[in-house]
Amino acid sequence: MDSSDIFKNYFRVFRDIIRMMHTTNSLEEVLNLGVKKTSEALRAKGALVRLLNETTQQLEVRAAWGLDKRYLSKGPVSSDKLLKWGSDGRKIHIITDILNASQVAYRQQAWDQGIRMMLDIPLFINSKVVGLVRIYITELRHFSEDDLDFMITVAEQFACVIERLRLMENQKAQYNHLALRMEKMSSLGRMAAGIAHEINNPLAGILLYSSSLVKKAPPQSPLEEGLRIIMSETQRCKVIIQGLLEFSRDMEPQKVLANINDILDKALTILNNEFFIHHIRVEEDLENNLPQTLLDGNQIEQVLINILLNAAHAIEKDGIISVKTRMDAAKAKISIEIADNGCGINGQEMDKIFDPFFSTKPSGIGLGLAISYGIVRNHRGDIKVESHSGKGSCFTIDLPILPEASGKEGEQGVA
Amino acid sequence: MKPVNILVIDDESVICNACHFILSEKGYTVERQLTGKSGLDALKSGQYHIVLLDMMLPDMDGMDILKMIKGENPAVCIIVMTGYSTVSNAVKAMKLGAYDYLAKPFTDDELVSAVEKACLHVV
Repeated sequence: MDSSDIFKNYFRVFRDIIRMMHTTNSLEEVLNLGVKKTSEALRAKGALVRLLNETTQQLEVRAAWGLDKRYLSKGPVSSDKLLKWGSDGRKIHIITDILNASQVAYRQQAWDQGIRMMLDIPLFINSKVVGLVRIYITELRHFSEDDLDFMITVAEQFACVIERLRLMENQKAQYNHLALRMEKMSSLGRMAAGIAHEINNPLAGILLYSSSLVKKAPPQSPLEEGLRIIMSETQRCKVIIQGLLEFSRDMEPQKVLANINDILDKALTILNNEFFIHHIRVEEDLENNLPQTLLDGNQIEQVLINILLNAAHAIEKDGIISVKTRMDAAKAKISIEIADNGCGINGQEMDKIFDPFFSTKPSGIGLGLAISYGIVRNHRGDIKVESHSGKGSCFTIDLPILPEASGKEGEQGVA
Repeated sequence: MKPVNILVIDDESVICNACHFILSEKGYTVERQLTGKSGLDALKSGQYHIVLLDMMLPDMDGMDILKMIKGENPAVCIIVMTGYSTVSNAVKAMKLGAYDYLAKPFTDDELVSAVEKACLHVV
Protein backbone atom coordinates (compact mmCIF):
# COMPACT_ATOMS: atom_id res chain seq x y z
CA MET A 1 0.00 0.00 0.00
CA ASP A 2 1.46 3.37 -0.91
CA SER A 3 0.97 6.35 1.33
CA SER A 4 -2.02 7.79 -0.53
CA ASP A 5 -3.86 4.48 -0.06
CA ILE A 6 -3.06 4.54 3.62
CA PHE A 7 -4.43 8.07 3.97
CA LYS A 8 -7.54 7.18 2.02
CA ASN A 9 -8.00 4.30 4.36
CA TYR A 10 -7.55 6.50 7.43
CA PHE A 11 -10.01 8.99 6.01
CA ARG A 12 -12.65 6.26 5.58
CA VAL A 13 -12.18 5.18 9.18
CA PHE A 14 -12.77 8.75 10.38
CA ARG A 15 -15.80 9.07 8.19
CA ASP A 16 -17.30 5.83 9.55
CA ILE A 17 -16.62 6.74 13.17
CA ILE A 18 -18.03 10.24 12.79
CA ARG A 19 -21.11 8.95 10.99
CA MET A 20 -21.66 6.44 13.78
CA MET A 21 -21.25 9.13 16.40
CA HIS A 22 -24.14 11.04 14.94
CA THR A 23 -26.51 8.14 14.40
CA THR A 24 -26.35 6.21 17.65
CA ASN A 25 -26.54 7.03 21.30
CA SER A 26 -24.94 3.80 22.39
CA LEU A 27 -21.41 4.30 23.60
CA GLU A 28 -20.61 0.60 23.19
CA GLU A 29 -21.72 0.59 19.54
CA VAL A 30 -19.58 3.59 18.61
CA LEU A 31 -16.52 2.31 20.46
CA ASN A 32 -16.87 -1.21 19.10
CA LEU A 33 -17.07 0.05 15.55
CA GLY A 34 -14.19 2.41 16.27
CA VAL A 35 -11.79 -0.26 17.52
CA LYS A 36 -12.70 -2.56 14.65
CA LYS A 37 -12.08 0.09 11.99
CA THR A 38 -8.89 1.27 13.66
CA SER A 39 -7.52 -2.27 13.94
CA GLU A 40 -8.27 -2.89 10.30
CA ALA A 41 -6.68 0.35 9.17
CA LEU A 42 -3.52 -0.41 11.17
CA ARG A 43 -3.53 -4.09 10.20
CA ALA A 44 -3.51 -4.91 13.91
CA LYS A 45 -4.69 -8.14 15.52
CA GLY A 46 -7.17 -6.25 17.63
CA ALA A 47 -7.82 -3.34 19.91
CA LEU A 48 -9.74 -2.48 23.04
CA VAL A 49 -10.97 0.51 24.97
CA ARG A 50 -10.65 0.63 28.71
CA LEU A 51 -12.47 3.36 30.61
CA LEU A 52 -11.98 4.44 34.18
CA ASN A 53 -14.82 3.55 36.53
CA GLU A 54 -14.88 6.53 38.90
CA THR A 55 -16.29 4.58 41.82
CA THR A 56 -14.05 1.53 41.72
CA GLN A 57 -11.01 3.34 40.25
CA GLN A 58 -10.57 0.38 37.95
CA LEU A 59 -10.14 0.33 34.20
CA GLU A 60 -12.96 -1.62 32.59
CA VAL A 61 -13.11 -2.96 29.05
CA ARG A 62 -15.88 -1.09 27.25
CA ALA A 63 -15.18 -2.18 23.68
CA ALA A 64 -12.95 -4.74 21.99
CA TRP A 65 -12.28 -6.28 18.63
CA GLY A 66 -10.16 -9.13 17.35
CA LEU A 67 -9.06 -10.37 20.77
CA ASP A 68 -9.55 -13.82 22.24
CA LYS A 69 -12.49 -14.11 24.66
CA ARG A 70 -10.26 -15.75 27.25
CA TYR A 71 -7.96 -12.76 27.19
CA LEU A 72 -10.85 -10.32 27.54
CA SER A 73 -12.44 -12.22 30.39
CA LYS A 74 -9.55 -11.20 32.64
CA GLY A 75 -11.65 -8.37 33.96
CA PRO A 76 -10.81 -4.85 35.09
CA VAL A 77 -7.30 -3.71 35.88
CA SER A 78 -6.03 -1.09 38.27
CA SER A 79 -6.07 2.51 37.15
CA ASP A 80 -2.38 3.02 38.00
CA LYS A 81 -1.39 2.67 34.38
CA LEU A 82 -3.14 5.96 33.61
CA LEU A 83 -0.80 7.79 35.95
CA LYS A 84 2.08 7.68 33.52
CA TRP A 85 0.30 10.18 31.25
CA GLY A 86 0.42 12.73 33.99
CA SER A 87 4.00 13.75 33.25
CA ASP A 88 4.59 13.26 29.55
CA GLY A 89 1.48 14.76 27.96
CA ARG A 90 -0.66 12.95 25.48
CA LYS A 91 2.01 10.80 23.93
CA ILE A 92 1.32 7.32 22.61
CA HIS A 93 3.15 4.63 24.56
CA ILE A 94 4.69 1.95 22.42
CA ILE A 95 5.37 -1.35 24.17
CA THR A 96 7.71 -3.73 22.41
CA ASP A 97 9.06 -5.87 25.22
CA ILE A 98 5.73 -7.49 26.09
CA LEU A 99 7.02 -10.04 28.58
CA ASN A 100 8.73 -7.39 30.71
CA ALA A 101 6.26 -4.51 30.35
CA SER A 102 4.98 -3.37 33.72
CA GLN A 103 1.97 -1.66 32.22
CA VAL A 104 0.69 -4.96 30.77
CA ALA A 105 -1.35 -6.88 33.32
CA TYR A 106 -1.47 -10.26 31.56
CA ARG A 107 1.89 -10.51 29.80
CA GLN A 108 2.17 -14.25 29.27
CA GLN A 109 -1.40 -14.52 27.98
CA ALA A 110 -0.76 -11.70 25.52
CA TRP A 111 2.45 -13.34 24.33
CA ASP A 112 0.61 -16.66 23.89
CA GLN A 113 -1.92 -14.90 21.72
CA GLY A 114 0.90 -13.97 19.38
CA ILE A 115 1.07 -10.35 20.38
CA ARG A 116 4.50 -8.77 20.03
CA MET A 117 3.74 -5.08 20.20
CA MET A 118 1.17 -2.82 21.90
CA LEU A 119 0.26 0.82 21.46
CA ASP A 120 -1.43 2.69 24.31
CA ILE A 121 -3.29 5.86 23.36
CA PRO A 122 -4.74 7.92 26.21
CA LEU A 123 -8.31 9.26 26.19
CA PHE A 124 -8.54 12.80 27.53
CA ILE A 125 -11.66 14.67 28.61
CA ASN A 126 -11.08 18.21 29.89
CA SER A 127 -7.36 17.51 30.26
CA LYS A 128 -8.07 14.55 32.51
CA VAL A 129 -7.22 11.07 31.31
CA VAL A 130 -10.31 8.87 31.52
CA GLY A 131 -9.14 5.72 29.80
CA LEU A 132 -7.06 4.32 27.01
CA VAL A 133 -7.19 2.61 23.66
CA ARG A 134 -4.77 -0.31 23.36
CA ILE A 135 -3.85 -1.68 19.98
CA TYR A 136 -2.41 -5.20 19.68
CA ILE A 137 0.01 -6.01 16.88
CA THR A 138 1.50 -9.37 16.04
CA GLU A 139 4.88 -8.22 14.76
CA LEU A 140 7.37 -5.51 15.63
CA ARG A 141 6.81 -2.69 13.22
CA HIS A 142 7.71 0.95 12.72
CA PHE A 143 4.93 3.53 12.96
CA SER A 144 5.33 6.85 11.21
CA GLU A 145 4.34 10.20 12.74
CA ASP A 146 1.28 10.12 10.45
CA ASP A 147 0.23 6.73 11.79
CA LEU A 148 0.54 7.97 15.36
CA ASP A 149 -1.32 11.15 14.47
CA PHE A 150 -4.11 9.05 13.07
CA MET A 151 -4.36 7.07 16.31
CA ILE A 152 -4.38 10.21 18.43
CA THR A 153 -7.14 11.71 16.31
CA VAL A 154 -9.22 8.54 16.59
CA ALA A 155 -8.76 8.64 20.37
CA GLU A 156 -9.87 12.28 20.38
CA GLN A 157 -13.04 11.29 18.56
CA PHE A 158 -13.64 8.56 21.12
CA ALA A 159 -13.16 11.01 23.97
CA CYS A 160 -15.60 13.37 22.30
CA VAL A 161 -18.34 10.79 22.01
CA ILE A 162 -17.72 9.51 25.55
CA GLU A 163 -18.10 13.02 26.93
CA ARG A 164 -21.24 13.74 24.95
CA LEU A 165 -22.95 10.49 25.94
CA ARG A 166 -21.98 10.89 29.58
CA LEU A 167 -23.51 14.33 29.63
CA MET A 168 -26.68 12.90 28.11
CA GLU A 169 -26.80 10.08 30.63
CA ASN A 170 -26.29 12.54 33.46
CA GLN A 171 -29.11 14.72 32.27
CA LYS A 172 -31.37 11.72 31.87
CA ALA A 173 -30.57 10.47 35.36
CA GLN A 174 -31.19 13.92 36.78
CA TYR A 175 -34.50 14.18 34.97
CA ASN A 176 -35.62 10.74 36.17
CA HIS A 177 -34.65 11.64 39.71
CA LEU A 178 -36.68 14.82 39.44
CA ALA A 179 -39.71 13.10 37.94
CA LEU A 180 -39.63 10.49 40.69
CA ARG A 181 -39.39 13.14 43.37
CA MET A 182 -42.30 15.11 41.94
CA GLU A 183 -44.39 11.94 41.74
CA LYS A 184 -43.54 11.06 45.33
CA MET A 185 -44.38 14.57 46.51
CA SER A 186 -47.71 14.72 44.76
CA SER A 187 -48.91 11.32 45.98
CA LEU A 188 -47.78 12.17 49.51
CA GLY A 189 -49.52 15.51 49.18
CA ARG A 190 -52.80 13.87 48.24
CA MET A 191 -52.51 11.45 51.11
CA ALA A 192 -51.62 14.24 53.51
CA ALA A 193 -54.69 16.25 52.55
CA GLY A 194 -56.91 13.22 53.14
CA ILE A 195 -55.36 12.47 56.52
CA ALA A 196 -55.50 16.11 57.56
CA HIS A 197 -59.20 16.28 56.97
CA GLU A 198 -59.94 13.01 58.71
CA ILE A 199 -57.93 14.03 61.75
CA ASN A 200 -59.35 17.53 62.13
CA ASN A 201 -62.77 16.12 63.06
CA PRO A 202 -61.64 14.03 66.04
CA LEU A 203 -59.33 16.91 67.05
CA ALA A 204 -62.33 19.23 67.06
CA GLY A 205 -64.08 16.90 69.52
CA ILE A 206 -61.02 16.72 71.77
CA LEU A 207 -60.44 20.47 71.74
CA LEU A 208 -64.08 21.40 72.33
CA TYR A 209 -64.46 19.11 75.33
CA SER A 210 -61.07 19.79 76.88
CA SER A 211 -61.32 23.58 76.48
CA SER A 212 -64.79 23.49 78.03
CA LEU A 213 -63.90 21.13 80.88
CA VAL A 214 -60.73 23.01 81.83
CA LYS A 215 -62.95 25.84 83.05
CA LYS A 216 -64.84 23.46 85.31
CA ALA A 217 -61.77 21.84 86.85
CA PRO A 218 -60.62 23.13 90.22
CA PRO A 219 -57.94 25.80 89.64
CA GLN A 220 -54.35 24.56 89.96
CA SER A 221 -55.52 20.98 90.31
CA PRO A 222 -53.86 18.07 88.50
CA LEU A 223 -57.14 17.74 86.59
CA GLU A 224 -56.85 21.28 85.29
CA GLU A 225 -53.20 20.75 84.38
CA GLY A 226 -54.02 17.55 82.52
CA LEU A 227 -56.78 19.23 80.55
CA ARG A 228 -54.49 22.14 79.66
CA ILE A 229 -51.92 19.67 78.35
CA ILE A 230 -54.59 17.95 76.27
CA MET A 231 -55.58 21.34 74.86
CA SER A 232 -52.07 22.44 74.01
CA GLU A 233 -51.15 19.10 72.48
CA THR A 234 -54.29 19.26 70.35
CA GLN A 235 -53.32 22.75 69.23
CA ARG A 236 -49.92 21.33 68.33
CA CYS A 237 -51.57 18.71 66.12
CA LYS A 238 -53.52 21.49 64.50
CA VAL A 239 -50.31 23.32 63.59
CA ILE A 240 -48.79 20.16 62.13
CA ILE A 241 -51.88 19.55 60.05
CA GLN A 242 -51.92 23.13 58.83
CA GLY A 243 -48.38 22.57 57.61
CA LEU A 244 -49.53 19.42 55.86
CA LEU A 245 -52.38 21.17 54.14
CA GLU A 246 -50.07 23.97 53.13
CA PHE A 247 -47.78 21.40 51.57
CA SER A 248 -50.51 19.50 49.75
CA ARG A 249 -52.40 22.51 48.52
CA ASP A 250 -51.99 23.55 44.94
CA MET A 251 -49.49 26.27 45.51
CA GLU A 252 -50.24 28.18 42.34
CA PRO A 253 -47.95 31.21 42.59
CA GLN A 254 -49.58 34.63 42.41
CA LYS A 255 -46.88 36.26 40.36
CA VAL A 256 -46.14 39.96 40.27
CA LEU A 257 -42.99 41.81 39.19
CA ALA A 258 -40.53 41.94 42.06
CA ASN A 259 -36.86 42.32 42.84
CA ILE A 260 -35.35 39.29 44.51
CA ASN A 261 -32.90 41.42 46.50
CA ASP A 262 -35.87 43.16 48.17
CA ILE A 263 -37.44 39.84 49.10
CA LEU A 264 -34.14 38.57 50.45
CA ASP A 265 -33.73 41.75 52.53
CA LYS A 266 -37.21 41.30 53.96
CA ALA A 267 -36.51 37.69 54.89
CA LEU A 268 -33.22 38.71 56.54
CA THR A 269 -34.96 41.47 58.49
CA ILE A 270 -37.55 39.02 59.81
CA LEU A 271 -34.77 36.71 61.01
CA ASN A 272 -32.52 39.48 62.31
CA ASN A 273 -33.34 38.73 65.91
CA GLU A 274 -32.78 35.00 65.49
CA PHE A 275 -29.33 35.69 64.01
CA PHE A 276 -28.50 38.18 66.75
CA ILE A 277 -29.39 35.77 69.56
CA HIS A 278 -27.21 33.04 68.10
CA HIS A 279 -24.28 35.32 67.24
CA ILE A 280 -24.59 34.68 63.54
CA ARG A 281 -23.08 37.17 61.13
CA VAL A 282 -24.74 37.61 57.76
CA GLU A 283 -22.54 38.52 54.81
CA GLU A 284 -24.41 39.93 51.85
CA ASP A 285 -23.13 40.03 48.30
CA LEU A 286 -26.05 41.14 46.18
CA GLU A 287 -26.02 41.77 42.45
CA ASN A 288 -26.59 45.46 41.89
CA ASN A 289 -28.56 45.49 38.71
CA LEU A 290 -30.94 42.64 39.30
CA PRO A 291 -33.90 42.92 36.92
CA GLN A 292 -37.44 42.60 38.20
CA THR A 293 -39.02 39.25 37.51
CA LEU A 294 -42.45 37.70 37.87
CA LEU A 295 -42.76 35.73 41.06
CA ASP A 296 -44.90 35.19 44.13
CA GLY A 297 -43.10 37.35 46.71
CA ASN A 298 -44.73 35.67 49.72
CA GLN A 299 -43.88 32.19 48.55
CA ILE A 300 -40.27 33.02 47.67
CA GLU A 301 -39.90 34.78 51.00
CA GLN A 302 -41.14 31.62 52.69
CA VAL A 303 -38.53 29.58 50.82
CA LEU A 304 -35.74 31.98 51.80
CA ILE A 305 -36.85 32.03 55.43
CA ASN A 306 -36.94 28.22 55.49
CA ILE A 307 -33.43 27.91 54.11
CA LEU A 308 -32.03 30.75 56.26
CA LEU A 309 -33.56 29.20 59.38
CA ASN A 310 -32.09 25.82 58.49
CA ALA A 311 -28.71 27.54 58.06
CA ALA A 312 -29.07 29.18 61.48
CA HIS A 313 -30.00 25.85 63.06
CA ALA A 314 -27.04 24.16 61.37
CA ILE A 315 -24.74 26.77 62.90
CA GLU A 316 -26.36 26.74 66.36
CA LYS A 317 -24.03 29.46 67.71
CA ASP A 318 -21.28 31.70 66.31
CA GLY A 319 -21.08 31.38 62.58
CA ILE A 320 -21.47 33.02 59.23
CA ILE A 321 -24.30 32.86 56.74
CA SER A 322 -23.41 34.32 53.37
CA VAL A 323 -26.10 35.25 50.91
CA LYS A 324 -25.40 36.05 47.32
CA THR A 325 -27.53 36.94 44.33
CA ARG A 326 -26.35 36.69 40.77
CA MET A 327 -27.84 37.16 37.36
CA ASP A 328 -27.06 34.94 34.40
CA ALA A 329 -28.33 36.96 31.46
CA ALA A 330 -27.42 34.29 28.92
CA LYS A 331 -29.53 31.64 30.65
CA ALA A 332 -32.14 34.23 31.71
CA LYS A 333 -31.99 33.20 35.32
CA ILE A 334 -31.29 34.62 38.75
CA SER A 335 -29.41 32.59 41.36
CA ILE A 336 -29.73 33.03 45.08
CA GLU A 337 -27.02 31.36 47.10
CA ILE A 338 -27.33 30.80 50.85
CA ALA A 339 -24.26 29.26 52.45
CA ASP A 340 -23.49 28.54 56.08
CA ASN A 341 -20.52 27.18 57.97
CA GLY A 342 -22.68 24.95 60.18
CA CYS A 343 -22.78 21.23 60.75
CA GLY A 344 -23.48 20.25 57.13
CA ILE A 345 -25.55 17.40 55.80
CA ASN A 346 -24.19 13.87 55.68
CA GLY A 347 -24.44 11.71 52.60
CA GLN A 348 -27.31 9.55 53.81
CA GLU A 349 -29.42 12.54 54.76
CA MET A 350 -28.72 14.32 51.49
CA ASP A 351 -31.07 12.08 49.49
CA LYS A 352 -33.92 12.76 51.86
CA ILE A 353 -33.74 16.44 52.74
CA PHE A 354 -36.51 17.40 50.31
CA ASP A 355 -38.77 14.54 51.36
CA PRO A 356 -41.83 15.50 53.38
CA PHE A 357 -41.54 14.60 57.07
CA PHE A 358 -37.78 14.23 56.96
CA SER A 359 -36.22 16.31 59.71
CA THR A 360 -33.03 16.20 61.73
CA LYS A 361 -34.34 18.72 64.24
CA PRO A 362 -35.88 17.28 67.39
CA SER A 363 -39.01 19.40 67.06
CA GLY A 364 -39.11 19.68 63.28
CA ILE A 365 -42.09 18.56 61.25
CA GLY A 366 -39.93 18.08 58.17
CA LEU A 367 -41.98 20.08 55.71
CA GLY A 368 -39.88 23.24 55.28
CA LEU A 369 -37.69 22.06 52.43
CA ALA A 370 -40.45 19.93 50.89
CA ILE A 371 -42.67 23.01 50.67
CA SER A 372 -39.76 25.14 49.47
CA TYR A 373 -38.97 22.65 46.77
CA GLY A 374 -42.60 22.64 45.61
CA ILE A 375 -42.70 26.43 45.52
CA VAL A 376 -39.50 26.73 43.50
CA ARG A 377 -40.63 24.07 41.05
CA ASN A 378 -43.92 25.92 40.65
CA HIS A 379 -41.85 28.93 39.68
CA ARG A 380 -40.09 26.71 37.15
CA GLY A 381 -36.88 27.08 39.09
CA ASP A 382 -34.55 24.67 40.79
CA ILE A 383 -32.89 24.18 44.17
CA LYS A 384 -29.45 22.62 44.43
CA VAL A 385 -27.52 21.72 47.54
CA GLU A 386 -23.88 21.17 48.19
CA SER A 387 -22.79 20.16 51.62
CA HIS A 388 -19.85 18.81 53.52
CA SER A 389 -20.47 17.19 56.84
CA GLY A 390 -18.93 19.33 59.55
CA LYS A 391 -18.08 22.21 57.21
CA GLY A 392 -21.38 23.64 56.07
CA SER A 393 -23.98 23.68 53.34
CA CYS A 394 -24.76 25.83 50.36
CA PHE A 395 -28.25 26.05 48.88
CA THR A 396 -28.61 27.57 45.43
CA ILE A 397 -32.02 28.59 44.14
CA ASP A 398 -32.28 29.30 40.43
CA LEU A 399 -35.29 31.26 39.23
CA PRO A 400 -36.06 32.15 35.64
CA ILE A 401 -36.16 35.83 34.72
CA LEU A 402 -39.68 36.40 33.47
CA PRO A 403 -40.37 39.84 32.08
CA GLU A 404 -44.03 40.81 32.37
CA ALA A 405 -45.50 40.17 28.94
CA SER A 406 -44.04 36.81 28.01
CA GLY A 407 -44.22 35.51 31.57
CA LYS A 408 -47.96 35.83 31.90
CA GLU A 409 -48.66 34.03 28.66
CA GLY A 410 -46.32 31.28 29.67
CA GLU A 411 -48.38 30.64 32.73
CA GLN A 412 -51.30 29.15 30.85
CA GLY A 413 -51.65 25.43 31.06
CA VAL A 414 -48.29 24.79 32.60
CA ALA A 415 -49.45 24.28 36.19
CA MET B 1 -83.22 38.04 76.09
CA LYS B 2 -85.25 35.97 73.65
CA PRO B 3 -84.33 32.29 73.60
CA VAL B 4 -81.95 31.53 70.73
CA ASN B 5 -82.44 28.26 68.84
CA ILE B 6 -79.38 26.68 67.31
CA LEU B 7 -79.20 23.76 64.88
CA VAL B 8 -75.94 21.83 64.54
CA ILE B 9 -75.56 19.82 61.31
CA ASP B 10 -72.48 17.58 61.39
CA ASP B 11 -72.08 13.89 60.58
CA GLU B 12 -69.67 13.56 63.52
CA SER B 13 -71.88 12.96 66.52
CA VAL B 14 -69.03 13.87 68.87
CA ILE B 15 -68.93 17.39 67.44
CA CYS B 16 -72.74 17.71 67.56
CA ASN B 17 -72.67 16.61 71.19
CA ALA B 18 -69.76 18.86 72.10
CA CYS B 19 -71.50 21.91 70.61
CA HIS B 20 -74.68 20.91 72.41
CA PHE B 21 -72.79 20.46 75.68
CA ILE B 22 -71.05 23.84 75.49
CA LEU B 23 -73.86 25.95 74.06
CA SER B 24 -76.63 24.51 76.28
CA GLU B 25 -74.64 25.63 79.30
CA LYS B 26 -74.68 29.15 77.91
CA GLY B 27 -78.47 29.02 77.78
CA TYR B 28 -79.01 28.27 74.10
CA THR B 29 -81.44 25.69 72.83
CA VAL B 30 -79.43 23.29 70.68
CA GLU B 31 -80.62 20.60 68.30
CA ARG B 32 -78.47 18.13 66.41
CA GLN B 33 -78.73 16.57 62.95
CA LEU B 34 -76.24 14.15 61.40
CA THR B 35 -77.01 14.49 57.68
CA GLY B 36 -77.65 17.30 55.23
CA LYS B 37 -81.11 16.02 54.39
CA SER B 38 -82.28 15.63 57.98
CA GLY B 39 -80.81 19.05 58.71
CA LEU B 40 -82.81 20.68 55.91
CA ASP B 41 -85.97 18.85 57.07
CA ALA B 42 -85.43 20.10 60.61
CA LEU B 43 -85.03 23.65 59.29
CA LYS B 44 -88.39 23.40 57.51
CA SER B 45 -90.31 22.31 60.60
CA GLY B 46 -88.45 24.23 63.31
CA GLN B 47 -87.63 27.82 64.13
CA TYR B 48 -83.85 28.33 64.18
CA HIS B 49 -81.85 31.49 64.49
CA ILE B 50 -78.41 30.07 64.03
CA VAL B 51 -77.14 27.04 62.08
CA LEU B 52 -73.73 25.51 62.68
CA LEU B 53 -73.06 23.75 59.39
CA ASP B 54 -70.31 21.23 58.60
CA MET B 55 -69.14 21.64 55.01
CA MET B 56 -68.23 17.99 54.48
CA LEU B 57 -71.35 15.90 54.90
CA PRO B 58 -71.62 12.45 53.39
CA ASP B 59 -74.95 12.97 51.63
CA MET B 60 -74.77 16.54 50.36
CA ASP B 61 -72.28 19.22 49.47
CA GLY B 62 -71.97 21.90 52.16
CA MET B 63 -72.07 24.75 49.66
CA ASP B 64 -75.36 23.39 48.23
CA ILE B 65 -76.93 23.19 51.69
CA LEU B 66 -75.75 26.73 52.37
CA LYS B 67 -77.43 27.99 49.19
CA MET B 68 -80.67 26.13 49.97
CA ILE B 69 -80.94 27.45 53.51
CA LYS B 70 -80.23 31.00 52.36
CA GLY B 71 -82.77 30.61 49.57
CA GLU B 72 -85.57 29.44 51.84
CA ASN B 73 -84.76 31.31 55.00
CA PRO B 74 -82.47 34.29 54.43
CA ALA B 75 -82.78 35.47 58.04
CA VAL B 76 -81.00 32.41 59.44
CA CYS B 77 -77.43 33.07 60.49
CA ILE B 78 -75.11 30.32 59.27
CA ILE B 79 -71.74 29.57 60.84
CA VAL B 80 -69.75 27.24 58.63
CA MET B 81 -67.44 24.59 60.14
CA THR B 82 -64.84 22.74 58.14
CA GLY B 83 -61.85 20.51 58.64
CA TYR B 84 -60.28 21.53 55.37
CA SER B 85 -59.86 25.22 55.85
CA THR B 86 -58.54 27.28 53.02
CA VAL B 87 -58.91 30.98 52.51
CA SER B 88 -60.65 30.46 49.21
CA ASN B 89 -63.12 28.08 50.85
CA ALA B 90 -63.92 30.64 53.50
CA VAL B 91 -64.34 33.41 50.95
CA LYS B 92 -66.65 31.23 48.89
CA ALA B 93 -68.81 30.36 51.89
CA MET B 94 -69.01 34.01 52.93
CA LYS B 95 -70.02 35.00 49.42
CA LEU B 96 -72.85 32.46 49.57
CA GLY B 97 -74.14 34.19 52.67
CA ALA B 98 -72.42 32.45 55.58
CA TYR B 99 -72.11 34.74 58.59
CA ASP B 100 -68.93 33.30 60.08
CA TYR B 101 -66.40 30.56 59.69
CA LEU B 102 -64.87 28.11 62.17
CA ALA B 103 -61.86 26.02 61.16
CA LYS B 104 -61.74 22.65 62.90
CA PRO B 105 -60.41 22.09 65.47
CA PHE B 106 -61.66 25.10 67.45
CA THR B 107 -62.01 25.78 71.20
CA ASP B 108 -65.17 26.35 73.21
CA ASP B 109 -64.30 30.06 73.45
CA GLU B 110 -64.04 30.37 69.68
CA LEU B 111 -67.39 28.58 69.32
CA VAL B 112 -69.13 30.70 71.94
CA SER B 113 -67.71 33.94 70.61
CA ALA B 114 -68.85 33.13 67.05
CA VAL B 115 -72.35 32.30 68.33
CA GLU B 116 -72.52 35.45 70.48
CA LYS B 117 -71.57 37.62 67.52
CA ALA B 118 -74.21 35.89 65.41
CA CYS B 119 -76.80 36.53 68.15
CA LEU B 120 -76.29 40.29 67.91
CA HIS B 121 -77.00 39.91 64.26
CA VAL B 122 -80.22 37.88 64.48
CA VAL B 123 -81.95 38.80 67.70
